[in-house]
Amino acid sequence: MKRPLRLRLALRDLAVGSAFGAMAMSGQLPVWVLGVFIGALVLALCNVRLVARFSRLSALGLLVAAVLLGLQLTAGAMNAVVAACAFASLIAAQRMLSTPDASAEGQTHLTGLLMVAGGAALSGDMSYALFLIAFGVLASLSLALGVVEAAVPDGEPVPVRAVLRPLSTGVMFAVAGAVAFFVLFPRLNWAMVGPRSAPGFGAVSSAGYSNTVRLGGAGTIKGNPRVVLRATLTPDPGREALDAYWVGRTYDTFDGMEWTNVVGAQQTERQITLRPASDTLLHQRIELLPAYGARTLIALEMPSRLGNARAHTPTGTRYSPVQLQGGSEVRFTVTAPSYTYEAYSLPPEAKAGMSPALVQAERDQLLALPEHLDARVAQLAARVLQGEKEPLAAARKLAAFLQRDYAYTLEQAGTPEDPLAEFLFVRKAGHCEHFATALTLMLRTQGIGARLATGFYGGARMDGGYLLRAGDAHAWTHVLVPGRGFVTVDATPPSNRPSQGSVLLEQLLALYEAVEARWRNSVVDYSFRDQFELASKLVRPPRRPAGAPANQAPSRLPPPRAWVTAAVVAFVVWRAGRLVSRWTGRAPVLEATRFLDRVDAVLQKAHVPRFEHETLEDLTTRLAREGHPLALALTPLTRRYLEARFGGRALREGEAEHLLATLRRALDAEAARRAAKPAGQAGPTARAS
Amino acid sequence: MTQPARVLGPVPSPASARAVMERLATQLGRAVQGKPEEVRRVVTCVVAGGHLLLEDMPGVGKTTLAEALARACALSFSRIQFTADLLPADILGAQVFHAQTATFSFRPGPLFRQLVLADELNRAPPRTQSALLEGMAQGQVSLDGQTHALPSPFTVVATQNPVDFSGTYPLPDSQLDRFLVRLSLGHPAPDVEARLLTTRGAASPLPSVEAVTGPEELASLRDFAQDVKLDAAVADYVVRLARATREHGDLERGASTRAVLALGSAARAQALWEGRDFVTPGDVRAMLVPCWAHRVLLRSAVQGVSARDEAAHLVEEIARKVAAPR
Repeated sequence: MKRPLRLRLALRDLAVGSAFGAMAMSGQLPVWVLGVFIGALVLALCNVRLVARFSRLSALGLLVAAVLLGLQLTAGAMNAVVAACAFASLIAAQRMLSTPDASAEGQTHLTGLLMVAGGAALSGDMSYALFLIAFGVLASLSLALGVVEAAVPDGEPVPVRAVLRPLSTGVMFAVAGAVAFFVLFPRLNWAMVGPRSAPGFGAVSSAGYSNTVRLGGAGTIKGNPRVVLRATLTPDPGREALDAYWVGRTYDTFDGMEWTNVVGAQQTERQITLRPASDTLLHQRIELLPAYGARTLIALEMPSRLGNARAHTPTGTRYSPVQLQGGSEVRFTVTAPSYTYEAYSLPPEAKAGMSPALVQAERDQLLALPEHLDARVAQLAARVLQGEKEPLAAARKLAAFLQRDYAYTLEQAGTPEDPLAEFLFVRKAGHCEHFATALTLMLRTQGIGARLATGFYGGARMDGGYLLRAGDAHAWTHVLVPGRGFVTVDATPPSNRPSQGSVLLEQLLALYEAVEARWRNSVVDYSFRDQFELASKLVRPPRRPAGAPANQAPSRLPPPRAWVTAAVVAFVVWRAGRLVSRWTGRAPVLEATRFLDRVDAVLQKAHVPRFEHETLEDLTTRLAREGHPLALALTPLTRRYLEARFGGRALREGEAEHLLATLRRALDAEAARRAAKPAGQAGPTARAS
Repeated sequence: MTQPARVLGPVPSPASARAVMERLATQLGRAVQGKPEEVRRVVTCVVAGGHLLLEDMPGVGKTTLAEALARACALSFSRIQFTADLLPADILGAQVFHAQTATFSFRPGPLFRQLVLADELNRAPPRTQSALLEGMAQGQVSLDGQTHALPSPFTVVATQNPVDFSGTYPLPDSQLDRFLVRLSLGHPAPDVEARLLTTRGAASPLPSVEAVTGPEELASLRDFAQDVKLDAAVADYVVRLARATREHGDLERGASTRAVLALGSAARAQALWEGRDFVTPGDVRAMLVPCWAHRVLLRSAVQGVSARDEAAHLVEEIARKVAAPR
């Protein structure tokens, strides 16, 4: 059987790796699948075909993996798309490590295609586009090499360079064209109308807010490292990690299953332009990224003012009015992939004295209990509080109890009829929504007003600002303290509040987010209007100087910068044209010519250089005429070079090295012979040496 | 006329082609001693299917060389002494009237041989020269509206005296262009002349020349030579050389397209000497001066041997300046 070309296999494996990357960037694949695939890829690239001899055993392993994935799917711990993608990855890994025969080749490429499709289902943003391009390029090269390799008879060398050069050029042109198309068209904003339904990380990517919070509905988002919010704070806290609560909205009504709002909805639309506030307020400039996926404004607790809201729509950036909804939610009225706005919040230490003006209906609702609340909840609360009536102290006591006696878990098992009772008395484990709901309702059973708040917890330092991830989404309790208003009390164990994704993945994602932010700002969101404004600024005639006489007419000529820019552009175009023409007109460097260069280098080292315009053929003839000892070694080498260069009989694999080794041996022998001879009796040498 | 001693089969490989050429050179070397390089050039020219122009003093063996070539190749041979009163019909032949049948029939002239020695070509008037040159170019002659094919293979070996130009009709440039190679044998080295004197005296060396090939094999050899591969890089090299001659300040006229093609043919035949089936830049350079020195026209008004040497020198200089493909 013919030995497969290493380069082709490497290209194939890298193509499959790119396809896997398209899925992996979604952050939804299980870590063990990531590990297995990356390990397999590294081994395959090192040409270690680990399962070549144990194909049946590895197939059995695949079966076991399929069963495991199926179980996770059935248990609701994994969705069907992720399970399918994970299984495709495992098949690809097994195929890469198998004997590289025709069937394995086909199956590997097929799994690559499946993974690209999986990537499209899980993701769909810039990273996906990059991986898709990489997959297209690498798979095309690998397949084309495969076709050529199959056509070359056994024993003949595959003309890799001859194939790859034109092919790479073609592929590069195709990619450049596609990229140009991709870059140009979004800038014109012809096909970007409408919201991005699932930005970034697919269906569970959005940390956005709905009108309800259903207990047990969150879960997998806690491990999602996608950045959803970036904020610059003034004054800058200067800490690496914040322990701050970023509130989005609150809920006052719990029906036993889910939280909603029944009072307080005002639906007032307003546009606020913020002026600098007092130094005591904490100013935030916030950017909600596309992965956020909602229209609710987020601010540090307790927000006092929100404004300067701008929506970054596909047609450009524009001011957006905001609307006050129930549950203190402030929402953008314009739907856009991303937003920026400013907010002022009270500093944590300045909360005293601030009491919200609540109407009676709101106060009543803060004590409302679900109709069928398990009686044990009130009993438990009373037992824990032991007569404590002061709201804040009671809340902290209950929170401490919950943190001490209850475990934190993201695992969801089925849909219990009474999730609160299930949490408090059966499983004794839950996530932030369980903890916050339990605390809120336990307080209410004791006549203390409280509500559920949702938003984010934390903030990681990045580029002088702070960023929050989808996994930082959090729920906690607002306790109504007479004379102080709502005070935050968090029943969730502190270590489980922030994002629980992998640290390495978070770092990678942060880097990726930074690149993507630049991409979005500089390319995708760089709208036609921006282009127009830039061009206008460039060519707008200079204003009349302040000291110029009033009757002097302003110049209509473009400013010097326009001329300079035009000159620079013209120069660049001219130089690029020259380079391209030189590049296209240059004769391709042939393998035989490269071989000649190496021969030249060897001869140069041995002080047997060629005269100007003397070919290797001439040199060999000259040396033979002079009776030089090297002529003998040089003759077959020259003949082979001439055959390869002008006779159409290419050098075989390794032949160049063999010929060069022979020449080097001859040179060494000649050097030794000359060294052995007395200086006065040196043999014939090349005239040029 | 000598019959071939043996008829060789078609030439199947560069090695066997080289063997035939070596045998031919050996036979010619018996007739023209001490001139191995020139003999190789003559063989190259014949294998390339070209005509040969020998420019030299009388008595250096031009006629002997031509005759030896005819013998070695077993070709039909004729020698035409070109003189000022030679008419085209004297070389082409004539229509002869037969009184009994009242018809004309064509009686071929001495041109209808496979190898024709045109001795002192420049002594004949232009009309006669043209009659010969038409045959060289077309492989046929036209007479009284009728076309008569010349035998195949057809080769002309013409001679000129480069010194004595009085009363001659120098060949027009366009007609010089029809000779593939111009050679000068020159006087033999003194030791060779001495050896000739002691071993042979006045006896002709021709009887010692044997036929080592035949017309069929020579035709086959020519076909084979035309199939020798000439790489695009080498072709580009030839074209660059031609352009350099056209742009050279000392040359009134550079190499023509016919000269480019001629050099290609000559280089192909030259490659066979090395047993190769492809042309290298070295082959091109080896045949550059013999092929082109008589085709370029100097700006200076020198004539004769000086002009010939000057042209050869310029062509060599151009070959040094134009970089060979690598």
